[in-house]
Amino acid sequence: MSKQNDFEESIDRRTVTAGLAGGLMFSGLVARLAQLQLVEGKRYQKIADENGVKLELAPPERGNIVDRFGLPLASQRQAGRVSIVREQADDLEASLREVARHIDLPEEEQRRIVQQARQQASFQSTIVKSELSYDDFARMSLLAAEIPGVHVDMASTRSYPRGRDVAHVLGYVAKASGDDLARLTDGKSQEEAKLLRTLFRHPDMRTGRSGVERYAEKWLRGEPGFRKLETNAAGRVIRELDSDDLAPVPGRDIGLTIDAELQRAAIDRFGEESGAAVVLDIETGAILAFVSTPAFDPNDFVNGISYSDYNALRENDRSPLYHKAYDGTYPPGSTFKMVVATAAIESGIDPNMHVYCPGHYRFGNRTWHCWKRGGHGSVDLHWALKGSCDTYFYEIAKRTGVEKIAEVSKRFGFGQRWELGMTGGRSGTVPNDEWKRKALGEPWYQGETLNYGIGQGYLSASPLQLAVMSARIAARGRLIEPYIIGDGPRPNEPIPYAEPLDPEIMDVMKAGMYGVTSETGGTAWRSGDLGLGGPRLAGKTGTAQVRRISAAERRSGILKGEDIARKLRDHALFVAYAPADDPKYAISVVVEHGEGGSSTAAPVARDILAAAIRRDSRRAARWQTASVAPSVSTKRSAP
Amino acid sequence: MARAARASNIRFEDRTFAGTLGELPWGLILLLISMALIGTAALYSSTYTNPAESALPARHAIRFVVALGIMFVIALVPVKIWLRAAWPAYFVTLAMLVGVELFGVSGGGAQRWLPLGPVNVQPSEFMKLALTLALARYYHNNLTSDSGRFFIHLPALFMILIPAALIFKQPDFGTTLALFASGSVLIYLAGLYYRVIAAVAVTGLVSIWPVYQFVLEDYQRERVDTFLAQLTGQAVNTLDDGYQIEQAKIAIGSGGWQGRGFMEGIQAQLDYIPEQHTDFILTVIAEEFGFLGATGLLVIWAIILVWGMVIARGSSSLFGRFAAAGCVATVGFFILFNVAMVLGLVPVVGVPLPLVSYGGTVMFTTMACFGIIMSVHLGRDERLNAQGVI
Repeated sequence: MSKQNDFEESIDRRTVTAGLAGGLMFSGLVARLAQLQLVEGKRYQKIADENGVKLELAPPERGNIVDRFGLPLASQRQAGRVSIVREQADDLEASLREVARHIDLPEEEQRRIVQQARQQASFQSTIVKSELSYDDFARMSLLAAEIPGVHVDMASTRSYPRGRDVAHVLGYVAKASGDDLARLTDGKSQEEAKLLRTLFRHPDMRTGRSGVERYAEKWLRGEPGFRKLETNAAGRVIRELDSDDLAPVPGRDIGLTIDAELQRAAIDRFGEESGAAVVLDIETGAILAFVSTPAFDPNDFVNGISYSDYNALRENDRSPLYHKAYDGTYPPGSTFKMVVATAAIESGIDPNMHVYCPGHYRFGNRTWHCWKRGGHGSVDLHWALKGSCDTYFYEIAKRTGVEKIAEVSKRFGFGQRWELGMTGGRSGTVPNDEWKRKALGEPWYQGETLNYGIGQGYLSASPLQLAVMSARIAARGRLIEPYIIGDGPRPNEPIPYAEPLDPEIMDVMKAGMYGVTSETGGTAWRSGDLGLGGPRLAGKTGTAQVRRISAAERRSGILKGEDIARKLRDHALFVAYAPADDPKYAISVVVEHGEGGSSTAAPVARDILAAAIRRDSRRAARWQTASVAPSVSTKRSAP
Repeated sequence: MARAARASNIRFEDRTFAGTLGELPWGLILLLISMALIGTAALYSSTYTNPAESALPARHAIRFVVALGIMFVIALVPVKIWLRAAWPAYFVTLAMLVGVELFGVSGGGAQRWLPLGPVNVQPSEFMKLALTLALARYYHNNLTSDSGRFFIHLPALFMILIPAALIFKQPDFGTTLALFASGSVLIYLAGLYYRVIAAVAVTGLVSIWPVYQFVLEDYQRERVDTFLAQLTGQAVNTLDDGYQIEQAKIAIGSGGWQGRGFMEGIQAQLDYIPEQHTDFILTVIAEEFGFLGATGLLVIWAIILVWGMVIARGSSSLFGRFAAAGCVATVGFFILFNVAMVLGLVPVVGVPLPLVSYGGTVMFTTMACFGIIMSVHLGRDERLNAQGVI
C-alpha cells in the first residue's frame, strides 16, 4: 500500500467515523424523544389535558363614593346580561333572531354580534346585550335554555343611585376610548401600559370621564387580579380556581363632604330655575352642598349615551352638562360690595364717612346710576351695605383704587381655582391694570374702577368663590379653604394667599350683612327669618348684569323682566351665612336670569340654610377619621 | 480502486443539459421537498387559529420554492468554479463582517446586518458557506499524503476563529457554534491527531466555568441556569424563564406514540409555546404526530445527511469531498442542536430546524449547502488541480 493510499483511506475512515458520530447523536435524540413521549408520555399528557391552567385578567370592583353620612352616591350594581357562544349555537343568526323576538335587538346590532363572534375562538362568549331591564332579565332567564348557545348571567356595572343630584361632582364613567387610554397610559412603563390596555378591553371595565370619577380614577379603580381558570383539552373553561393571591384588589371608597339630602333639598328648592348653590361648613370649609341645576343623569353615560341624547343635553339652553357652581363664573354684582368696603377701610376710609346719594354719580363727563333711582340720601358704610347704595361704592372705589380692591379680592378667595379633587373649576377674573394690559392691550381707565366698586365689569367669580367669601366674613377673616373629598385622595395644595383678613373689619361687614336681612332699609329684610323660631341669617343681595342697559331704556323706565327675553335677564345672586349670631353655614346662590337678588335668590338661600340647620349637616361624618379631623362644634343653635 | 478508474470519464462540459439534470440526485431533492412540506403543514397547524399569522405557511412554501431555484443554480455551476471562488468569497465575506462591526445595523439586541445599498445583508449567514468552501480549498491545495502534522491545521484554525470571533461579538451564539461545528468536522477529516483532539476536549471541559462566568452575557447566563435547573429536574418557575422549555416538554411528552393527530395538539393550538412556529416547531410535530412522527422526521433528515456524506465520499477531488462534508456538517449541526434544544438537552440558543422552522435565512443557507453538495455530485469525477484546472 502506498502512502497515497494510506492517506486516502485515512480520510475515508474519518468520513465514516464522523458519520457514525452524527448517527450516534441522532440516536441520542431519538432516545430522548422516547423518554419524553413513551416513558413519561402519560404524565405529560395528563398535564396538558387536565391542568391547562389559564390566567385571565379579572377586573377589580370599582370603589364606591358615599356622602358624609355614608349614603351611596356611586356604587356597583349587578345587572343582567345575555351572551352567546358560537360553537354551542347551530346557527348564530337564528339564535339571535330568536333572542330579538323577546328583547329589543336591532338587526344591525345582530350583524355586529355575529361578526364579533366569528372573530373570537368558537368557545368564547360574545355579549349580546348588557344592562337588561328586570323584565327582560326574567324573560331571558326562562328562555335562554331553549335557544342554542344563549346564556344569561349577571355583571357588575356602575350605578348612581341619586341620579342627577350629584352629577357634576361625581362626573360619570364610560368605556375607555382611545383618548382615555392615551391619557391613562401616559407616562406609564410599557408593561403597565399594556396591562391597562388589556384591562380596559374587558367588557365590565369603565373609566372616569369627569368629576371625582376621573380625578380619583386610580384610587377608585383598584388593582386587576388574575383569574385562574382550569381549562380542559380544548382550552374550554371548566371552572374557576380559588386563589387568594391572584384576586383583584377592589378600588377604595371615597367619602365626600356632601350631604346628599341637603343637596336634594337645595335642588328641589330651585324647581324649574337654573342656577347654582354652594353650602359650606364655616368651621372646616367642608362643602355640604354643591348644586348646579339642571343636571344630567350620569347613569345614562355608563353604557354609552346615544348621540341624539347627548346633543339634546349639549344644546339645552340651561346647560345641564355644565357645573355652574364650579365652572361657571358670573359678575358678582353687589355681593362684591363687602370686598370693596374692606379694601376701603384698609386703605384708611372711615366707615362713618357719609356720602350723599342722589340716585346717580357723575364722573368725568359720564353719569353712573344707583339702582335706587330716587337715591339713598346721605349714607355711611353700614347703610350703604344694607341698602346696597351704588353711589357710595362708586365713591369709595374711586378713592381706594383698582389695585387695592384687586389685592383684597384675592384674600377673599377670588381669582383662584381650588383643587377639590374633581375635574373642572375656574378661577374667574380679578382685573387690575396689569391684567387688562395683558388681556386687552389697554390701560385701566378710572371709570372702570367705579364699575368694579359694584362688582360689575371684567370681574367674574364662581359661586364657590362667593360662598368662600361669605364664609371668610362669617369666620371673622379666617382663611377658610373649601374641600369636598372628606375621606380619600384629597388634593393637598398650599394656600396661596395666606394673609388673613382683619377680624374687626369683618365685624363691620357682618353687621352690614345682618342689616341687609334684618333691619329696615335692608334689601332683603323679608328673608332674614329662617322660620325656625329664632336663628336668623345675614346676607347680601346681588344682581349680575347679562347686558348693558341702554340710555334709551333707562329714560323710558327700566324694562321689567317679563318684557325681556329670558336669556337677556339679569342673574340673581345672594350670599349669606347663618345663624347670624353664631355662624355655622355659609352659602352662595345664583339663580340664572332670576332678575333680583332679594326677590329670587334670597328666599332660595334662606330655605337651603334652614334645611341645613334642621338637618344639622355638620354632624360628624360617617367616614370621619382622625386624619381628616375637622373640629366639630358642640354648640347646636337649632332647636 | 474503482473511483480512480472512473475518473475523468465524464467531465462536466461533456454532458448535455438534459444529461446534467438527469445526473442530479433526484431522490435527495424529493426528500428535501417532503421536508419543506412537513414544515408547511406544521406551520399551518400552529398558526391557523391566529389570523395575524395565517400567511406564514404560504410564505414558507414560497420561500422554499425560491430557495429550491437557488439550489439548482448553485448545483449547475461547475465545481471548479466554486473552487476558484472559494478564497474571494471568504475574504469578501470576512470584510463584510468587519463592516458589520463598523457600520452595522442593529436589530433584536444584536448587530448583524450590513446596509448595502437598498438592502440589509447578514454576512454571518454567508460565512457558513464561505468558510466551508475556503477550508475545502485550503486542504485541497495543501493536504498531501504526508500530512497529519499538526502545523498544517493551524491556518485552518485561524480561518475559523477570525470570523467566529467577529460573529460571537455581534452577538450571534448559534452561528458561532455552527462555524465551529462544520470547521472542526473538516479539520477532523483532514486528519488532526486524535491526541490533539483529546487535549482540546479536556481544555474545553476545563474552560466551561470561566466562559460561563466571564464571557456570556447576562441573558445567556440565565438561559444556561434555566437549562441546568430543568435538566436536573429542579422546579423551574413555569411562568418565567423555564416556561418555554417546560411547555415544550409537555407538548412533546403528551404526544405519546402516535400523537393527537394533525391540528389537534392542545399546546400547539392554544399558543402555549413561544416561538413555536420558528425554533420550537418540532413541538408541534411531536405533539400532533407523536414519537413515530418526530422520529420519522429525524430519520428523513438522517437519510438526507447520509446521502450528502455518500456524495462527499464519492468525490474524486479533495475540494469536492471537503466542501460537501462541510455543508453536511453545517446542516447537521442545525438539526442536532435544534432538536437537542427543544428536547431540553442543551440550553436554549436560537437555532432553527432547517426547512421546517419558519424563517428565510436558514432556509436559504440550507438550500445553498445542498446546491454545493449537488454541484460536487455532478463534478464527482473531475480531478482538479490546485487552481481548479482539470
